[in-house]
Amino acid sequence: MKTSAAVTDSEDRYLCYFNMSFLLPKLSSKKEVDQAIKSTAEKVLVLRFGRDEDPVCLQLDDILSKTSSDLSKMATIYLVDVDQTPVYTHYFDISYIPSTVFFFNGQHMKVDYGSPDHTKFVGSFKTKQDFIDLIEVIYRGAMRGKLIVQSPIDPKNIPKYDLLYQDI
Amino acid sequence: MAPAQRCSICRQTFFCGRGHVYSRKHQRQLKVALERLLPQVEAARKATRAAQVERYVPEHERCCWCLCCGCEVRKHLSHGNLTVLYGGLLEHLASPEHKKATNKFWWENKAEFQMKEKFLISPQDYARFKKSMVKSLDSYEEKEDEVIKEMAAQIREVEHSRQEVVRSVLEPQAVPDPEEGSSAPGQWKGTNSQVASASQQPSYLDLPPAPELDWMETGQPLTFIGHQDTPGVGNIHSGATPPWMVQDEEYSSGNQQIGPSYEEFLKEKEKQKLKKLPPDRVGANFDHSSSTGAGWLPSFGRVWNNGRRWQSRHQFKTEAAARNKHQQSHTYYCLL
Repeated sequence: MKTSAAVTDSEDRYLCYFNMSFLLPKLSSKKEVDQAIKSTAEKVLVLRFGRDEDPVCLQLDDILSKTSSDLSKMATIYLVDVDQTPVYTHYFDISYIPSTVFFFNGQHMKVDYGSPDHTKFVGSFKTKQDFIDLIEVIYRGAMRGKLIVQSPIDPKNIPKYDLLYQDI
Repeated sequence: MAPAQRCSICRQTFFCGRGHVYSRKHQRQLKVALERLLPQVEAARKATRAAQVERYVPEHERCCWCLCCGCEVRKHLSHGNLTVLYGGLLEHLASPEHKKATNKFWWENKAEFQMKEKFLISPQDYARFKKSMVKSLDSYEEKEDEVIKEMAAQIREVEHSRQEVVRSVLEPQAVPDPEEGSSAPGQWKGTNSQVASASQQPSYLDLPPAPELDWMETGQPLTFIGHQDTPGVGNIHSGATPPWMVQDEEYSSGNQQIGPSYEEFLKEKEKQKLKKLPPDRVGANFDHSSSTGAGWLPSFGRVWNNGRRWQSRHQFKTEAAARNKHQQSHTYYCLL
């Protein structure tokens, strides 16, 4: 069982090999998140709610950072720490991390992934292409005025989890 | 007069019996139809000697039209995952009903006698086909087993190499020395290049060694951060106001600044739309902000010929007096 010191050591040692070509901007307060939602115009806003050290969050952040430059015309991506924005964590009912929420022009976009919760994407994406396809579908749907779109990701690549808030 | 009879080859109805069958047109049509059927039968006959078994593909659902029986026949015989090529057609061609129908067809349409044999498959041929089918099924199964074994061996190899890589990486971690640390990445790079091209390089040490193969089953379970369930406050599922729409105290002053500029922006948009209209239309230079008094409509007293003349004159006189008074006060003002 590794101690936390050993873990951080290994991370420091291998940090140079993680491809952080685009370090994603972080939001650390409710006001910053509000600002991001209200000021992002004509582009999909992607908010990743999670913790930076969580392994699945790391995997997702890797995919997000690698695709952020290709998607720069369609989407802006921010990382939000769930511990620093309890209002949003509670509002979006984020019980599993990472959870990704999408907005367009200040409006929350829902996506039907085949899972019971359409308001957010829970877990990580399997491939970069899945994420790119999803952003493209959300962008096109938003341009046509749709508030909810159908996810293009194969249902077997969507992570499974238990729905907690069942009596809506 | 003979009863009306429809010839399916000529696709015509004849009222003079089957005399037309000897005509050139009918014989030509007949030849063409038989020529269309012949290649299928020949292909089926070839299959009697060497039956082929293949994996099922929706294309194998195709049917063939048997001219003699006048019915559609399944060309290939499929069961489960496998198909025997031309199985269905052969079965039909060897059946006695088809033989009877062929004979009838030949007699009615007066086709060439020698051609008839080509369209029939004898029962002996069919038996031979069945034997070769069994043989080819067995050989197909053997081939499939081989392929599966190969794939399993490949997967085992890849798994093994991955385990090696992870082991070699974990070993240097036990010694937290900076010098050792600098040599370990070199080792890491070396083992990375050795790993077969089929495997994805695990870029994070925290992830399990085979993330691609069984991503859903043994992937990391998601971190649970507690039920977000405060009973008093609503959330997205219950339709509460979103936090970014909630007016904070500081924002009320900020709002006033945003207000006018948004209205101005809308006005600009309207003006741009107006620019697209023709510039010399009626009322293009109408000043919308000018105020209009009550007397903007010209009045000649009463317009309709209703009521007596003196009423109309009276109205006109009062209005003229009011207008003159108004004009007088205006001119005095201007003179001042």
